[in-house]
Amino acid sequence: MRRSLRYLAALLLATAWGASSAAGQGATRQETVVIVMGREPSNPIPTLWRGNTAAQDIMDLLFLPLARLGPNFITVGEKDFQPALARSWVRRDSLTLVFEIDPRARWHDGAPVVAADAALGLNLARDPKVSAGTALLLRRVASATAEDPAHLVVRFTEAYDEQFYDTIFHVFPLPSHLIDSIPAGQLDRSAYASAPVGNGPYKWVRRVPKEQLDLAANDQFFLGRPGPRRVTVLVAGDPDAMLNLLLSGTADVLQTLGPVTNIPRVKADKRLTIYPLPSFSVGYLLFNLRDPADLSRPHPILSDRDTREAIRMALDVPAMVQSTFGAWASVPVGPVPELSWIRDPGARQPAYDPAGARRLLAARGWRDTNGDGTLDRDGVPLALSLNFPGTSAPRAQIALLAQEQLRKVGIQININRLEGPVWSERRSQGNFDIDFGSATLDPSPYGLIQSWSCAGRGGSNVGYYCDPKVDSLLTLGQLRQKEAKALYREAVQTIVADVPAVFVYSPTSPYTISSRIRKVELNAVGPFSALWRWNPGPLP
Amino acid sequence: MIPWLARRMAQAVLTFVVVTVLLFVLMRLTPGDPLERLTGDRAVSAEETAELRARFGIDQPIAAQFRAFVLGALTGNLGVSIEHYPTPVSTLLASRLPASLLLGGTVILLTFGLGVSLGVLQAVRRGQRSDRWLTRASLALYAMPSFWLGLVLAWYFGIRHHLLPVAQMHDPLLSPDAPWLMRAGDTLQHLVLPAVTLTAVSVAAVMRYQRTALLEVLRLDFVLAARARGLPERLVLWRHAWRNALFPVIGLLGLWLPILVSGSVFVEQVFNWPGLGSLAANAVGARDYPVILGTAMLVSALVLLGGILADIGYFVLDPRVRRA
Repeated sequence: MRRSLRYLAALLLATAWGASSAAGQGATRQETVVIVMGREPSNPIPTLWRGNTAAQDIMDLLFLPLARLGPNFITVGEKDFQPALARSWVRRDSLTLVFEIDPRARWHDGAPVVAADAALGLNLARDPKVSAGTALLLRRVASATAEDPAHLVVRFTEAYDEQFYDTIFHVFPLPSHLIDSIPAGQLDRSAYASAPVGNGPYKWVRRVPKEQLDLAANDQFFLGRPGPRRVTVLVAGDPDAMLNLLLSGTADVLQTLGPVTNIPRVKADKRLTIYPLPSFSVGYLLFNLRDPADLSRPHPILSDRDTREAIRMALDVPAMVQSTFGAWASVPVGPVPELSWIRDPGARQPAYDPAGARRLLAARGWRDTNGDGTLDRDGVPLALSLNFPGTSAPRAQIALLAQEQLRKVGIQININRLEGPVWSERRSQGNFDIDFGSATLDPSPYGLIQSWSCAGRGGSNVGYYCDPKVDSLLTLGQLRQKEAKALYREAVQTIVADVPAVFVYSPTSPYTISSRIRKVELNAVGPFSALWRWNPGPLP
Repeated sequence: MIPWLARRMAQAVLTFVVVTVLLFVLMRLTPGDPLERLTGDRAVSAEETAELRARFGIDQPIAAQFRAFVLGALTGNLGVSIEHYPTPVSTLLASRLPASLLLGGTVILLTFGLGVSLGVLQAVRRGQRSDRWLTRASLALYAMPSFWLGLVLAWYFGIRHHLLPVAQMHDPLLSPDAPWLMRAGDTLQHLVLPAVTLTAVSVAAVMRYQRTALLEVLRLDFVLAARARGLPERLVLWRHAWRNALFPVIGLLGLWLPILVSGSVFVEQVFNWPGLGSLAANAVGARDYPVILGTAMLVSALVLLGGILADIGYFVLDPRVRRA
């Protein structure tokens, strides 16, 4: 009897094992694209995504904006944009834009997409109760109304060059027939937020919190039939687990490959292809110009421009970037990512000149009076703290290299590798000497005003840098379309000359994608916005 | 036994309350901003920050926050997650608990089943080649970091030979409506590597405990007397010696019960196992106060429960404890 039971149990186990081995194979897997993300796309709904880039990526699959940025990411005027939900647009006057909605567009529940939906999306995004951040960006939009079901009229409070960009970049239409009755402040707690209905190439199927998100192809998508029939997003917080999911063939797409040492390992696998995608991110060593102990006073060391310049001269930035990223990052000149349309290809990084740095420091009175290897002045050592989030391996490596290079000219750097929330808290409170931050910038160069203008102090400008010339150049850049590029570049040159930071790297993301997927298109401002055109082939 | 148990329970409840208060206060005093993960590197206005702080009640003084927490907890409401707003903490814990129980339960079964059996084998064959090799092997595994062993096993069985899944608890493409047998088999496949990893690094402790305890008992007079009475060696070993050598292992089992829910954070992360350990670790990194507190309360309750169960085990099995 006991032996029979054992056999039965073993048989059951073997059957279950065998049955599950057959699961997930065949056509379904072949037509599915499985993406691994390091973070859960918690709220992939326009205006509610709150800076969660994973949610933004999913939003691009669920929703279709009025238009998209063109391949050059030029944010001024209206010419460089590509139609999406709006099949055309006209400018009535310097304060009015009119969009014509494509009549073929449908929500996932079958309802037609109308101008009122686009107006609702824009008006919700302007509501500080829903998203104060977006409301700030859209502060010059006076109104958005539906003239008729096909025409959206957007009026602005003043004439400026990025009216079109403001209307389409931060805003997606939302289904008025489903969310009109939901109070604005409660949208993220509504049933709609837990199963959003969009108008994009993929429909919401299900979410397993912190594990998985499933989307299915929307066959009614008016721009074409999506190639991948299903998109599954796996959430894995651990970089090794993410890489293993890719290497084992469970996943097809990995956004973050981790350290560059992983790249040869992936390259050796013929089943995978790496697609380099330049980003809008910039990593920089930010100087605090105020005293961390009392923000009303200037910083005792870093408020001096020549000292900051000496620190910059003592750092061999290209060598640090090369040893950390290899070919997967460039050195930006100023807070300008590689893809920005205002980037000046002729601009050069200030030279690495440790001897010049020593001379400059000596001229400012810094000498090693006690022979301990660290310069001092009036009994105060030239010692600074450098904060960065411990989760960033590249920043950890560069911080060590910077510490060593600065030690050679007599500057002592005390490295603080901090937990993310602690680092962020100290940064926002101005409690640092040097902060090694990284920011993903908007394609609009006017976004520089947040972190590098006098007006931004106390907000995103945590280093308290202020040069009124930069403020006026940025404002003029947005008002004068023909001179915009030159004005923005001059603003950047002024920032670089003032040395409020050392701009270290602008990374290129190695997107790793299964070689079975063909016609891969990636976009720096929405990596998966063209995923529906991908063509998944047979499993290897 | 009842007065003793009542006293023991009262101690446990008091300890639980003290631990909860300490956790609550220490967590709020720890530096770090819970809104950091929520807003990413996006510029956030002061108004939006104030709105978010008010939403999660973290704009209130600690005393007011604690009062709100206690009032909620008494009605079973542990609040909502900051990072996964508006998901209630209880929902998150409930969604993670089955995975933790499955992994933890399997590991405890394997660890104690294997550990006790091999420990007895070593004691019986003390000094022989098998004893020496088992000692070396178990200590070598014990010395290995669990995440490293997990990565090696994942590489060998999952990536190189495609024999086992390297991560997750289910095949992501397996339909939730699939037959239960298929789902059970799928879960079983995904369970193998994390369970083997955790068992491999922890079985040595049980083996050493069991071996030492049994060797001590085998030297005692009553075992000699049993042998002298001509009882078969198997009976002497299992009925007389082993039962008396089980107490240290029961104590160890009580201490291990929390692994049922907390698992091993590293192993859960390496295998992307959706358990409470990785939920708690992630919540700590995000300063998601309600989730940290919820998981910590659950684990501390289990630690206390484990202690009580171990004591009850002693009480029932050991007459000396009953007399004391």
